[in-house]
Amino acid sequence: MVASKTEPAAPVQSGYPSLHRSRRRVKDRVLAGLIYLCAAITVCVLIGLIAYILIQGVPYISWDFLSTAYSARDEALQGILPMIINTLYIVIITLLIVTPVGLSAAIYLTQYAKQGKLVKAIRFTTEVLSGVPSIIFGLFGYTVFCVMLGMGVSILAGCLTMTICILPTIIRTTEESLLAVPDSYKEGALALGAGKLRVVLGIVLPCAMPGVLTALILGMGRIVGESAALIFTSGMSYDMPREFFGHIMQSGRTLTLHLYQTASQATDPNAFHIAYATASVLLILVFLLNRLASLLSRVFDKSAKARA
Amino acid sequence: MEKTLVINPAKTMNNEEKRRRAALRRRCFSLVAALLALAGAAMFFLPFVTFHLGRTDYTFTSLQVVTGYINVNGTPVSLPVIAKIAAAVCPLAFLAGGVLILLKKPRSSAGCFMLGAIAPLAVMMTGNSISSTFLDLGVSRVEMSYHTALAVMLVAGLAAAVLSMSTKGVDKLAESVFLVFACMSVGAVAIITIYMIAAGTPAIAEIGLGEFLFGTEWAPTSGSYGILYMILTSVLGTLGAILIGVPIGLFTAIFLAELAPRRLAGIVRPAVELLAGIPSVIYGFFGMIIIVPAIRTVFPNTFGYSMLAMILILAIMVLPTIVNVSETALRAVPASYKEASLALGNTHIGTIFKVMIPAAKSGILAGVILGVGRAIGETMAVIMVCGNVVQFPQLLQSVRPLTAGVVLEMSYSYGLHRQALFSIGLVLFVFIMIVNISFTLISRRGVKIDGRE
Repeated sequence: MVASKTEPAAPVQSGYPSLHRSRRRVKDRVLAGLIYLCAAITVCVLIGLIAYILIQGVPYISWDFLSTAYSARDEALQGILPMIINTLYIVIITLLIVTPVGLSAAIYLTQYAKQGKLVKAIRFTTEVLSGVPSIIFGLFGYTVFCVMLGMGVSILAGCLTMTICILPTIIRTTEESLLAVPDSYKEGALALGAGKLRVVLGIVLPCAMPGVLTALILGMGRIVGESAALIFTSGMSYDMPREFFGHIMQSGRTLTLHLYQTASQATDPNAFHIAYATASVLLILVFLLNRLASLLSRVFDKSAKARA
Repeated sequence: MEKTLVINPAKTMNNEEKRRRAALRRRCFSLVAALLALAGAAMFFLPFVTFHLGRTDYTFTSLQVVTGYINVNGTPVSLPVIAKIAAAVCPLAFLAGGVLILLKKPRSSAGCFMLGAIAPLAVMMTGNSISSTFLDLGVSRVEMSYHTALAVMLVAGLAAAVLSMSTKGVDKLAESVFLVFACMSVGAVAIITIYMIAAGTPAIAEIGLGEFLFGTEWAPTSGSYGILYMILTSVLGTLGAILIGVPIGLFTAIFLAELAPRRLAGIVRPAVELLAGIPSVIYGFFGMIIIVPAIRTVFPNTFGYSMLAMILILAIMVLPTIVNVSETALRAVPASYKEASLALGNTHIGTIFKVMIPAAKSGILAGVILGVGRAIGETMAVIMVCGNVVQFPQLLQSVRPLTAGVVLEMSYSYGLHRQALFSIGLVLFVFIMIVNISFTLISRRGVKIDGRE
């Protein structure tokens, strides 16, 4: 990157007039200006979005807001505790389901599979699955989990839908980290007489752990931010959970759906305050997850470099 | 485990002992698996499902699911063919698995056991069509409850499959478990495709394909189901978003790949990453509070919730996709191309636009297609800014794309209306599949070109 930056500067500074100096230089300047402008637009949009929402929303975040229940009718109950709990439920249960599935799939694809039709099919479908919009997952989850399997509109149905939704991300990211483990490690273990399973579980997996964690955190970010897939499957109920396990079979709206509902039905400014504050909580959450993921991947890169 | 012991020649006696034990264990495992298979097959004759129709209950065994029918108001109703096949396949699969494991064919017997475990679930999945059949016949209340037989079949099938694979050793067992999980994404895509088609086609058949796709009036209450304007809105909105998003995204990618000083890139790249991670509801909210009022200020006589707002929001949302894919494509251009161009006296900017972009063309195109997929499938952000009126798309008027129609009407729709919403889902699904497959083809071609050169 550094080299590519210095090379082109040379002919400009050398003082020899270029053949098309007068015309080309102006065009170049304009184009370079446009490039900088576009990069600036990208950053400004992001900063503007985050700053505006945080400035409007953070003043309304209070301990009361985070720790009380919500009711559409009761003015005194305007907190988001049930939504936080529902989001936690969905994140934890989805990760509990998706981790073994995604990890096993990635292990099979990287450690066992021989190139063939099956592997091609798995890769192709994983790619297709990652491009399917979440509204389709929502419709699918509603017909299959809620109606056909009789779960009703419940957190469990939402979790199963989200599992399919984030499976491709988990598989792909985990696969990359498994592939990054040097072959010499495996060969060493095999030469010492370890069986294949022991090599995979005892050597490859621990080495790829930071990568796997990164995948899970990325998945967590997707779940926290998801809305269209959950609106039909886990529903919009905002009741406080009454029982620890029974709540899994009940409907519950997540933070994103709460934001959607309060923002799109807001008529009085108070409801807008709730929307701003909820958006701020979501933004902070997403930002923290994003930082955590990049921190972990940096750790992973470092250890990979140390190995190499 | 066994292999490691076989290699060790020092403990031959011990090895003999171990091998005998392993053989014994294998025999035990296959015997238990065979017994489980027998138990699973026996469930065929035990109560499987109870239909609560109106005030009467009908309890069916699997056998009766295959052969029996229910008398409703004088008309005999038999169950769907798929349920019958699944119910009949289940015991056969169990028996076949049991025989195969005794014949020492663990791989195929495990497959049979899995089939036996899944088959009752297939019966369960037809429950929806069963209940709608009864509801059509005027039964007031249709409910179904399942008996322990279902759980027994499921558990017995899975346990027998695991046992029969473990006769081949832990390694083989682990490999097949990994394989089953790896196939889940294949299964998910297959099931999603089947269900989208199964749920979407009845309404299209009833309304008529031409009427549905090219009808201009969407008024479910009076029985008109034409989605042409929604399709046009989705397509034009995506086009607009791409027209704005691609230049900005591509130029940002050029900036990151070629021009950015290390420190600036260190700010811009995480920003793009974060942009990709922000929930779509927040984009929608941002559109509601910033973009919509802005449009209202600039064009005083409009509502603000409009096609333009939708395009702007979508343009922001496709940015990270386009930036990431294009940057990767630009970085993959061989350095020799660039060096040759610079050596010929071209400027850096000239090299970027005349050499690098043409070389990275297919990668950039793949990014654009991925962006199209994002934009056309985006739902929540769009609902919050588009105004949701079904009409011919105009830049400053309220519009409604395909996705918004599904979400907004799902909660109160029933009958043909609801089926029509699933048909909209199917149309969307077809669009996405076309986009996806062309993405796969183009990115594969890009890889091939890169690989050759």
